Amino acid sequence: MSVKTFRGGAHPPGKKEAAKNAPVEYFPSPKQVVIHLNQHTGAPNQPLVKVGDAVTRGQKIASSEGKLMIPHHASICGVVKKIEPRPQSNLLDGVAIVIDADGRTETAYMPALDPFSCTREQAIERIKEAGIVGMGGAGFPTWMKLSPPPAKPISIVIANGAECEPYLTIDYRTMLESAGALVCGMAASLQVLGVKQGVFAVEDNKADVVPVLEKAIAEFLAGAGSGKGFDIGVRLLKTKYPQGGEKMLIEALTGRQVPSGGLPMDVGAVVQNLGTLKAISEAFLEGKPLIDRGFTVTGGACKTPKNLCVPIGTVVSELIPDVIDVRADLARVLYGGPMMGTSVPTLDTPVQKNTSGVVFLTSKEARFFEEGSCIRCGRCMRYCNCHLSPALMNEALLVEDYAEAGAIGLLDCIECGTCSYVCPARVRLVQRFRVGKVKLRAIMAAEQARAKARAEAQAAASPTAKEAR
Amino acid sequence: MALEHQPLLLSSSPHVFTNVNVRRIMLHVIVALLPTTVYGVYLFGPSAARVVLTSVVSCVVFEAVFRALIKARQSFGDLSAVVTGLLLALVLPPSTPSWMVAIGALAAIVVAKEFFGGLGHNPFNPALIGRAILLMSFPAALTSWHRPPGLDAAGGAALTDALSTATPLAVIRQGGALTDVAAGLGVDSLQDLYGALFLGNRAGCIGETSILLILAGGVFLIATKTIVFVTPAAMLAATALFSALLGMDPLFGVLSGGVAFGAFFMATDYATSPLTTAGKALFGLGAAIVLVLIRKFGGYPEGVTYGILMMNAVVPYLNKLRERKYGYVKKGAKK
Repeated sequence: MSVKTFRGGAHPPGKKEAAKNAPVEYFPSPKQVVIHLNQHTGAPNQPLVKVGDAVTRGQKIASSEGKLMIPHHASICGVVKKIEPRPQSNLLDGVAIVIDADGRTETAYMPALDPFSCTREQAIERIKEAGIVGMGGAGFPTWMKLSPPPAKPISIVIANGAECEPYLTIDYRTMLESAGALVCGMAASLQVLGVKQGVFAVEDNKADVVPVLEKAIAEFLAGAGSGKGFDIGVRLLKTKYPQGGEKMLIEALTGRQVPSGGLPMDVGAVVQNLGTLKAISEAFLEGKPLIDRGFTVTGGACKTPKNLCVPIGTVVSELIPDVIDVRADLARVLYGGPMMGTSVPTLDTPVQKNTSGVVFLTSKEARFFEEGSCIRCGRCMRYCNCHLSPALMNEALLVEDYAEAGAIGLLDCIECGTCSYVCPARVRLVQRFRVGKVKLRAIMAAEQARAKARAEAQAAASPTAKEAR
Repeated sequence: MALEHQPLLLSSSPHVFTNVNVRRIMLHVIVALLPTTVYGVYLFGPSAARVVLTSVVSCVVFEAVFRALIKARQSFGDLSAVVTGLLLALVLPPSTPSWMVAIGALAAIVVAKEFFGGLGHNPFNPALIGRAILLMSFPAALTSWHRPPGLDAAGGAALTDALSTATPLAVIRQGGALTDVAAGLGVDSLQDLYGALFLGNRAGCIGETSILLILAGGVFLIATKTIVFVTPAAMLAATALFSALLGMDPLFGVLSGGVAFGAFFMATDYATSPLTTAGKALFGLGAAIVLVLIRKFGGYPEGVTYGILMMNAVVPYLNKLRERKYGYVKKGAKK
């Protein structure tokens, strides 16, 4: 099998050995869950329950009317105790519904639905109602991904099994243990989109999952998926960070580049996280909304590296020390991987729909470097997988020249962290870009508003406009 | 929840970093310079060792004193002053008086580097500024050369002014032919001349003579990803090409003078060379054009110093030659 990749990227140490051989362990019964209303891209939800209400596992408890609407569900049976702001892994500390378990074990799932015989609209409605979002990080609503406008025909669905973040192994375990569900989720995605070609993309350090996936694909195509013309395969990718970045993945597999400011659908591709595929499969076969998720707990300060599956909203501190044991020299806790994850101030942070891992680092592992001044070695430019010029953007941002930084490509930065990782002077490139992006967007918005106001003033002043009105 | 731990640290991603830091990069450069430094000392004797030591120590001391005066953090740890001192020494004649070397070091570290804000902020190559200022201030001292003792009939004689000679380029500058250069090096054929120049048994600056050892250092830097091959390749190829165009021997043009040393160690200086690949290629090309023009028409026998310094000045423009970004169609017309 030829190994594909993109140009640029780095090789941070993988550190996957710790958790890679630990089968996913299910922890079904937290005493409390904290379910945030804003776990997804788009407007935050409104709660559908109030304090004191009894809720059942699988019951819809929050929703909204917005375009990017995605509901959230109770992940355990219990009573709503509070609706208040709680610590959150994106550090926004938004409003959450806090549910105390009451010991019931009922479920309130939807009826099962056959994705291959229902209509496209029914299938999309099911994925929407199941509250499924991209579980890799951004939390983009999956139903939106699966309903592209007619002008954007899709030709390929890519299952993102790259798992390029160091430490994390949940995707690897999911491929080994739930290959059947992944293939079913993939086929359902293909069916909804009316696409034939699906690809499981795997970094070559996880080549041992290839026969497992291929067997599951063969079984599916011989059974439930027979006669539908699906062309599902597995492709190996070079082990390189950020191979699992959506844009890099598409470039490696199709040779196409997502246009600046565009979406994968602009080049006919849909990229799905593995957890998302599993959730799609469960939503159809079991009627189960997205209420559990697998994630990796690992890191040098974690005595019990493993892969866990918990109800969404489970607070990590509740798992300590019975499920997860942590060393006393714990210094930093990351939600997500070490390259793109966020460090959180408290272990009372719940697992969300997009939490792929919780990494416990010792102070030695997560050394804190003082920022040096750029020596202009050009490493960031050579490694940047978006072919931007981080050193020059940094220079522009240091003198607050946002227009220049934008021209060099500030808004095209995917914040993958490669430039900061390779920087020998430890310049805080990504951090500065993140702040710079916010400021540049604000400046652009202000300019647009001014231009609009000018245009309106002109229109009001001109007599023809008045007559026309 | 009986967990006891230190307060959790917060930081912006990424949370892990490569172990390649500034000091390691500078160490790579020092290691790459060692073969040609050791050979220079072997070839030219104790006087060369004196120049190297004086230069390195002066650079480190001047940097420390200046940073103390302006109350800036001491930066000895990054070893960049050692690199500058070494580079300066290696482009000076082995007989340069120590006080002159110290003035060169002052110009390099204080004027060319610290005045502009220190490491990474200097527009011009500090070592070459040091050399250029000495060349303008003391042209005689900077262009008087010693015969490597091994070449002398007496063999192993002490290095004295009596043994002065001309560099191969100076022989040409004075109207000599390649055969005169060969005669001066004690070889008969053109082939042997190339061989002698490649191995470096000739008069010249301390570090510039042995192309073989410079190449070894350059390959080490490329292999350790400290530099990229583009700049030296462009500079050497362009030197050969323009030498040939102006009717000079291209191979002699590359093997003589300081062009190989300049291409691998001076034109690749981080702060003073372009960041972009296209910029690096043009930088090498431009430096080659200037140095060949100086060799052919200028007042000095060699033009590497000014070739590189002149290109240093256009680096901000060369940095505009950025590669096409991900997600942009050709010409970058669409948003």
